[in-house]
Amino acid sequence: MKLQGWEAVIFYVLAVMTLVMGVLVVTARVAVHSALFLISTLVNVALLFILLRSEFVAGVQILVYVGGVMVLFLFVIMLVQTRAEEESQVKLYTSQMGWAVGIAIMLALSVFFAIQPAQGAFRPPDSVVASQAASDSGNLTGQRSGAGSTSSDTQNVGEALYKQAALPFEIASLLLLVAIVGAVLLARGTKQEKLHD
Amino acid sequence: MISFAIGALFSVTALLQATSEPFVKRFEPTPINFIMLSFLLFVIGVAGVLSRRNIIIIFMSIELILNAVNLNLIAFSRYLQLNQAAFAAKGLEVNHLSGQVFTIFVIVVAAAEAAVGLGIVISLFRNRETVAIDEIDLLKW
Repeated sequence: MKLQGWEAVIFYVLAVMTLVMGVLVVTARVAVHSALFLISTLVNVALLFILLRSEFVAGVQILVYVGGVMVLFLFVIMLVQTRAEEESQVKLYTSQMGWAVGIAIMLALSVFFAIQPAQGAFRPPDSVVASQAASDSGNLTGQRSGAGSTSSDTQNVGEALYKQAALPFEIASLLLLVAIVGAVLLARGTKQEKLHD
Repeated sequence: MISFAIGALFSVTALLQATSEPFVKRFEPTPINFIMLSFLLFVIGVAGVLSRRNIIIIFMSIELILNAVNLNLIAFSRYLQLNQAAFAAKGLEVNHLSGQVFTIFVIVVAAAEAAVGLGIVISLFRNRETVAIDEIDLLKW
């Protein structure tokens, strides 16, 4: 997989944006700022998905994460008192902060050096590089290519989801039902509990 | 400063790649670059989980970790799609869509986890008046 020309430039821009926003999520003092930086990270990852021609997953990412999960986060931040943290009266990090950063840096370096020998393994043979454009145009419906053509990615993913992963799909729906009931049970107050008993 | 280090890491990766190609070609992203990106995102999430005191930020870091996994799955899905012919020539049948399907399941589980986890945070705050994890030590011996 080689991204060429402007796609390569866009990849580097999105990669740097994703990582900077990720660092800001972890280091922001105000929880709402953290949530907004997380939204930016998630949108950047969705754009990377589009760069990898997975339009459906990118749409799901925006709808579910940015539209659903982040609103949930913002509501919980609103309900929970974090003023002491915002006004820098309490410390932001636990006492294991030094250990955590040390472990993270060691992990990063170890995988960085472990990946080095594998650099050449992902270089496709020349014949495959030539077929990249053909493969992309095969992914499009209709005869047109370039702007104005539509990707059949959504159709392919939907077919795979219902034909090959039908049972996991149903199990996922059961999981979501259990999660809804569990969240309601956990979040209701004593007054509501008395009302129903 | 951290972003500086990340940028340096990326450029070093690019420079260490094969040398026989023209200069610009060396910087074109391969699956290795996607692995590096998703790994660095994962490490940022791990550092957040291990070091922050606010339990809500810890949940956000878990979302970062899950997104790093998603990025890896999608990158390999694309890699398999582009090299389908080469794999078929070696007698390997690959289905590149399974990566995308798996990503959708990861997103579903992440949404369920966020809903239940934030419900726990709400009831915890109602009972203990705090979201700092080092003050919630009832189970600590």
